[in-house]
Parts: sequence; structure tokens; C-alpha cells
Amino acid sequence: MMMPHFTVHQPDSLEEALDLLGRHRSSVKVFCGGTDLLIKMRSGALSPDHLVSLTRVKGLRTISYAESDGLVIGGAARLAEVGKNAEVKKLYPALAHACSVMATVQIRNMGTVAGNLANAAPSGDTLAPLLAYGASLVAVERGGRRQIKLTDFFTGPGLNVLEPLEIIEAIRVPDPPPRCGSAYMRLSARSKVDIAAVGVAGFMNLDLDGKVIRCRLALASVAPTPVRCPEAEAMLEGQKPDDTLLAQAGAACVRACRPIDDVRATASYRRAMVQALAQRVLAKCYAQAAGGEA
Amino acid sequence: MKNPAIIGQSIPRLDAPSKVTGKAIYTDDMKLPGMLYGKLLRSPLAHARIKRIDVSKAKALPGVKDVIVGADTPGVKYGNWRLVPQSQDELPLAVDKVRFVGDEVAAVCALDPETAEKALGLIEVEYEELPAILSVEEATAEGAGLIHQESKGNVSLVRKIDYGDLDQMFAKADYVREDTFRVHPVQHAYMEPCSSLAQTEEGNRVTLWTSTQTPYIVQCLLASTLGLPENNVRVMKVQIGGGFGGKMELRPWEFCAAFMSLRTGRPVKFTLTRHDELAYGRRRHPMTIYSKVGFKKDGMLLAKDFQVMLDGGAYNAMGPTATFLCGTFGNMLYNYPAYRYFGRHVYTNKPPASAMRGFGAPQAAFAAETQMNMAAEELGIDPIDIRLMNAMQTGDVIPDVATISSCGFKESLEEVRRISGWDQKRKNKTPGKGLGIGCFSFISGGVFNWFNTKYNFSAAEVKVFEDGTAQLAVMACDIGQGPDTVLRQILAAELGIPIHKIRLISMDTACTPKADLGTWGSRVTLMNGNAIIEAAGKIKAMLRPVMFSELDLNQIHDLAFEDERVFVRANPKKGMDFAECVYKALRGREGEPLTARGYYTPRNKGLVSPAFSFGAQVAEVAVDQDTGQIQVEKMYTAHDCGVAINKMSVEGQLEGAIQMGLGYALMEDLVMDDQGRTLNTTFLDYKMPAAEDMPPGESVEIETYEPEGPFGAKEAGEGLAIPTAPAISHAVFEAVGYRCMETPITPEKVLRALGKIK
Repeated sequence: MMMPHFTVHQPDSLEEALDLLGRHRSSVKVFCGGTDLLIKMRSGALSPDHLVSLTRVKGLRTISYAESDGLVIGGAARLAEVGKNAEVKKLYPALAHACSVMATVQIRNMGTVAGNLANAAPSGDTLAPLLAYGASLVAVERGGRRQIKLTDFFTGPGLNVLEPLEIIEAIRVPDPPPRCGSAYMRLSARSKVDIAAVGVAGFMNLDLDGKVIRCRLALASVAPTPVRCPEAEAMLEGQKPDDTLLAQAGAACVRACRPIDDVRATASYRRAMVQALAQRVLAKCYAQAAGGEA
Repeated sequence: MKNPAIIGQSIPRLDAPSKVTGKAIYTDDMKLPGMLYGKLLRSPLAHARIKRIDVSKAKALPGVKDVIVGADTPGVKYGNWRLVPQSQDELPLAVDKVRFVGDEVAAVCALDPETAEKALGLIEVEYEELPAILSVEEATAEGAGLIHQESKGNVSLVRKIDYGDLDQMFAKADYVREDTFRVHPVQHAYMEPCSSLAQTEEGNRVTLWTSTQTPYIVQCLLASTLGLPENNVRVMKVQIGGGFGGKMELRPWEFCAAFMSLRTGRPVKFTLTRHDELAYGRRRHPMTIYSKVGFKKDGMLLAKDFQVMLDGGAYNAMGPTATFLCGTFGNMLYNYPAYRYFGRHVYTNKPPASAMRGFGAPQAAFAAETQMNMAAEELGIDPIDIRLMNAMQTGDVIPDVATISSCGFKESLEEVRRISGWDQKRKNKTPGKGLGIGCFSFISGGVFNWFNTKYNFSAAEVKVFEDGTAQLAVMACDIGQGPDTVLRQILAAELGIPIHKIRLISMDTACTPKADLGTWGSRVTLMNGNAIIEAAGKIKAMLRPVMFSELDLNQIHDLAFEDERVFVRANPKKGMDFAECVYKALRGREGEPLTARGYYTPRNKGLVSPAFSFGAQVAEVAVDQDTGQIQVEKMYTAHDCGVAINKMSVEGQLEGAIQMGLGYALMEDLVMDDQGRTLNTTFLDYKMPAAEDMPPGESVEIETYEPEGPFGAKEAGEGLAIPTAPAISHAVFEAVGYRCMETPITPEKVLRALGKIK
């Protein structure tokens, strides 16, 4: 209910931040937008004595794109900044869309993409698009850096493989190949300002004949973690998608999910929506890819 | 009749700047020296006997100043229906038994909120669990356990209306249909969670600042539960962040703040959280509504049999009034030669339902309007035509209930047909899209004196000063709906002075004239407005002799009060400044100020209300047939609120009503488990429409002149919250063929109806 006392540290550099984490290791949390963390602290679910804020760490908020590297989203980049970034909008439309519709204006202005991943809620809106893009993240601690594939990152609701003293330094998203398309669609009871009850993200690229070279599909809010749909992806690869195939792929996505009944939706509705949204997402990806759009 | 220019103007709320800049002071903003923080211990069980409570560990915690349980209190039951004492079924803290998850069991006050919270955890309560009764069907089943021993089969109140020969009319009918509807609970979700701060003085007097819609009711009931004279309790003005019917009774934390303040001699404050509000707070009644209706084949209505069970939760609260009004609004809009209503208010082990914007009418209208559309469809008559054929009109009489003294219902139907493009769009239907209609009528304040007040229903005191200013004192309360502005407009119109020259003192039971029953039933503008007009008339009568003697006027002359002047109506040059007139009138009064009081109590106005609003609304929706998602694309409204005193306020009411109606129809729902616990207790999961969800709208005000209302005005606050849900439901039916008989209308239900999910 009431927040106990705690100390906020505002380091200027990543090294300093890592030192502070180490120094207060018995009771410390990394803090940036605070949109998830502060709620947990207010409710009493978390009560760290120390917060290490990343808001003043130099260079951590940048969003950069180069053909060679793809997209690099700094660990402190805000959702709204990512959503409005011209290159993200052009080359990673599913991510841009997720960043511009999730939660509320206020939360998008404060919350970060890295925080959304670290929070690991199955309903987190950036998770499925980043999975569909084949993203990975760079985690850093005093001992050094490691790159973690997003497919290996989530272990359960609110759980991931990040070590307690690790910081997400950046999220790396590969450069989109030619003739590709991507999309993210979500549904909730309240059409606009709301948490997703079901989310589907897709990515597809085509060869010169219009056959699918690669497809990635990811689902949100329908399992303990966001999930990929390998069966559906395999079904599409090497094929020229038509409505029948898209419907079959949609059905394969349904087999990949493990939804529950809760106050936001029933499992059977979620399954039906995975089917409907997956078809729509794939159709949109295909149209984009075939139209030559990035 | 020509109204003064200030009537009908769009004057921005005088309280708006302080509210939007965060400067307005609400109860929880207040801190007094030595103030203690109170917290409530609530029952974790829906139905149980309290076997033992031990508060010793909580009392021993450093910083805790007082801990009370039911046995420490005077144990006086209370309830708003003082006229029927056996309906008063609530105690501030449970004695012997708890009846819903959240029933208040004990209260703690301490030096800081954390200590108070910690102390709650140290209170030991031993319960003997009883079977929880969670539906009206279980509650009224043979052999069901009793939630209150005094009730007959868990029914706390029955209301019957019966006129015309029902059997004969049904026998004459060419078309009869019977339907059962179920409507769900929703919450007011006012922005300000309840908060109360009490301070004592001279041992046995108490001042209470509290988030309430009914200061006078709180004063009276608090006095009786504390065992103090009414005059020892003062309930005072603060800003109120919305109420919608959820803050119109005495509540346990008001009692606890006052009682613990009396015990400790220190100020005590209680503030609820959003979780408290959603999990345990008042809500709109869920109902099971059986309706049988008979028509001639040309669409003329003959008879209706309307049988309703209201799921009242653990206590009566304002349920009895909702039971009455549900019956009144089951037949209000149309002429029924015969009508029978049988309404039962049923106890269940759930948080009590109470008044909520529309007070029994939204539920009744959902059933009645939906059934009207079903009948129109089967009789092959346009839904608007069938309504026009049967619509209530000025002068119509509802036996034993009311005479309609102004009614713009037919005009509303015609206008909404026009602005929505009804005929055209129905001819050229687009798959997945539809138009639907819902209509409403509502009261402008209640006539039935359930509170059994000995005073007038409304009162106003006006003082005028020689500097040309005035002071208006009323007990009426602005809970966000705007009377602090509207009531000053009425006085400004009467005295011919600008609104900013009127100081307002409101909502203070010690120094505003007795009494006012508060803000509910859309009563304030009509009732308090009339009281102000009477008081202003008395002031003007005091100024008349000055004018007649100073200007040597003839007996036949009439005076006008406009533009801060008093003058001869036929010869405006002949007159003087208002200030000068007051100055002259003060002379020779031995210093006695110019003060007058006015009152209003409806008399000879039937049993229900002195005036009724009417209106019609059309919803335009698009339904995604793969996902079941419903998009309300536009709302069209035509309504008759008499003369709008402040047009901007009326528009605000309309927009707010659409937001609530949209939520009621499509999103909001309090979800409970089989133990009677509410599962969605945050705004993350209690889904309310947000600004981005609001559809665009178009509206027309049908201006009628209500003879009983101030300057022709009647209600505009609650009625508009009624038609939205049935209109949307009808539009969804027109779009995809799904007829909702059990609210809310969810994407899932749409898909099930379309056979897309099992």
C-alpha cells in the first residue's frame, strides 16, 4: 500500500551502474521507466532498498539502424520513442505498431522496450513482434556481456533468464531482407487503451518467385510466455501462400498456444482469435512482401 | 415565455479551473493537526458467523490509538428508508454475522497509515462459515438459508403496480411475447474513492468532511447511529469527485471516523483504495427480468406483465428505491392500457447494490426497449414507427404514478430518425453494420419521501448587499454535475446580476438552510432551482417599496431586474442600479440584512416525480464477424430536458452518459468467483471505455417548457445514461443477427451466436 523507504542511484555510465548493482546486491533493482516496477513496489510485491536508475546513463537511450547491424534499441529507449522512430516505422512496422498502441500515452512515454522484455508478462506487446523479427538482446554484468536470443529468454510468466545483476544494454533486431513483410495485431475487451487479451505477430520474406523463404510467427497472451509457432512457420516456408494455406497455418498456430480462462477472455475465445488474427497477420505480411514493401 | 439571457448560456463550470489544475481540495487532501489514519478490517468470507474477535495484539502495537469492533458501537441500525424502519438493516461494523466479502468487521486508527494497516493483520477473527448465497434464484429457493433473519425468504421488499385489466387485454392481443432478460452489475467508478475526515469539538460535537452526495442524510443517520442529537453533527463541503449514486448513504467509514474521533479526541481520516471500491463498493443492481407484452397486430400496445428480481446484495442500501423505479420505468415511455409490475428486492451474499445513474431504469429499459425491437421485427413494423404509435405525450396520465406535464418524446423520435439517416441506412444495409434504437424517460427528482424528512425537499437562502453582490446558501451538493454553476445562473437570472457577483455557500449542514435531500434522482436543478426562485422573489418584494416610493410609481407598474439595474419594465430608463436599490432598502431596517428563504417540496405531483425527461438515441455499429469485436461508430441523440439552463453542462452530461452506457453495454462487468469474491479489482481488468474509445456523436435538444421546472427546466443528468445499452444491443442485432438477452454484449457472445466458437 505505502512504499517503504528506498534509495535511488542515478549513475552516468554503465560501468558505474554495474558497480552500484554489485555494491547493493542484497536488495537492488534496475529502474528505468518504472511503469511496472513502481506498481509492484506500491503493492508490496517488491521492496528493494536500492534502485539503480538507467535514465542518466549516457548512450543507453539511442535507437540506431544500419544495414550491416540492423536495428539496435538502447536499453533505456522509451516505447514512444521507438514507436515514432522513422526507421522503425519504415522497416519494422510490427514493432512500431506495438509501441504505439500498447498501454497508455503516459506509460508509452515512460516505459522502455527493454523493461517490457524484462517484465516478461505474456501480454507484453513488444514481445511477439520482436520474436517475429528474430531479435536478441545484449545483457551486461560486471563479468562481461552475453547475447541472448529472445527465443531463449522467457521462462514463465514474469520470468526470464536474466541474472539479478544483469542489465539489458540493447536489443538487436536483424536487418530486414528484401521482399519482406511484418505485422502485429492485438485484441482486447476495450478496443483501444487496454492490455492485450490475444496478440499475434508475423514476419515473412519471399523469393523472386513469390515463395516464402522464411516465416516467423509469435503469439502473446495465450501461453505462460510468448510463443513461436514452428509448425505453422514450416508449413509456409517454400510455399506460395493462398487462403487455404493461411487458414491451415492459422490452425497450426492454435495448436502452438496454451491459453487459459481468465477475466480478460476465455481460452476458447483466445484460440479462435489466434486463428483469426494469424490469418490476418499472415495475409498482411504476404501482401507487404509481395508488394515489395520492406 | 422569454427567459433571461443567462438561461441557456454555455457557461464553463466555475469550479473547472481549480479541478483541472489540481488545486481543488478533496477530503483526502485534508490534514489536520494530530490527525489519525483509519483502516477497516473486512470479512474474507461471503457468509459467516463471527465466533470470536481478539483485538488485543492490534491495540498493543505502538502507534495504534484505537481499535473498535461491532460490540464497541451503539449498535444502531441505519438505512436511507427511514419511513420503513424495518428496511434499515445495516450496522457500521458487523455484529455476530458477516454477509458479504468485504463486510466491515473492525476499524483501527493509528499515527500513520502503515501502522494502521499492520494492526489490521494483528486482529484475530474466528469465523464459522455459512453457505454463501450468490444468486437471486438460490436466495429465493425453498429452504434457502436466511441472510437476514427478519426477511421473508430473503426478499426484503416487494413493489407492485397494477392497473387496467391485464387478462382482458392479453386476451384481446393479436401478438403476445414473453422474454427473460438478465442484466449484470457495473460500478460507478467515480474518480475519487470515498474519503471521510471527522473532528470533534467540545466533547460531543463532530464535524465530518466527507465524499458524499447527501450531506443531510449523512448528518441524520450519523447522529442516530452515534446516539447524538442531529444538531451535534455537522457535515461540510469539500470537492466531490463524482458519485453517480454510489455516495448517497451513510457508510461505515463515515461512522468509524466520527466515532473514533469522539473516542480519541483527535481527527480521524479514512480513505478507500480503488481495490476497496471495486471489490466491496456499491454497484448497479443485476436483475432477472421477465416481461410479457401484448400488441394488436397494427402495433398498438395493450398490456405488459413485468416481473423483476433485483439482486440486492447483503443489505438494502438504496435497493428499495431502485425496486420502485424499475417498475415505474418498465412502462414509462408508452401508453399501456394495462400494466402489472411485481418487483422483489432479494438479499444475496454479495456487496450491496444501490443507486447508480438511472436508479433501476437502465435495467428496465434494456429489457423493455429490447423487447419493443423484437416485437417490431416480428410484426413487420419499423422500430421507430411502433414507438411513435404508442409514445407518451404531454398530458398523458400513468394511473397512480404521474401526469406528464411536458413531453418531447415524439419529436425526439422524429429528430433522431432524421439525423441518423435511419430510413436510408435501413434500406441500404451493409453486412456487419447496423443501426439500433433505445429510448428513455427519467424523473426530475423524487416525490416519495422515503427519508421521512420533516423539512422541505430543497431550500435556499439569498442575501443581497449594498455593493450589488449576493450570497446564495444551499445544502445542495455539486458532485461534479454542475449545480454550483447552474444554481448561480438561476439566481443571476432572477436578480439581474452577473454570476461572478454571487458568492455560494453550499453543502454545510450547520449553516445552509434546512434541508436538501442531496444529489440523486436528477433532482437538484428543478428542486433547488425552484427554492432559489422563491427566495429571490421575496428579496425582490423587499426592494419593491424602495422603487415605488423613490420613483413615485403607479400601482400598475411592473419592475424588471436586469443588467444590474432595477427599472420599470414599460419604461427602462426609469430605474436605478441594483446596488443603490439594495442600499436604500437597507435603511430603516435597524441593520437587519436583506435575507430571504425559499423552499420547494413537490405537492400534488403523483407518487414519483414532478417532471419527466424523454429522449431517443440511435447507435451505429460495425461488428467484425471474425473477432466479434464491436465498434460503435456514431451515436445520435435527440432529447427533451425542458429548457437547458447551461447548454455546456447538458452536453457534458450527454457525453458522460454515452461513456457509461457504452461501458455498460460492451465492456464493464464485475466478475465474481464462486466464493463471492470480485476478481477484477483494478482498472486494468475492470474495463471502462477510455477517451479514445468514445464514438463521435450528434445531438438535438428538443426544447419543451416544463411548467413545474425553474425557467422550464427538467432533468438532464441520469436519463441519458439509459438508452445507450439497448440502442447498441439493437444495432448489433441489425448488424449480425445476435440478440443480447444477457448483458454485457461481448465479442465472445457474438461469436458463439454466429456459431464460430463453441
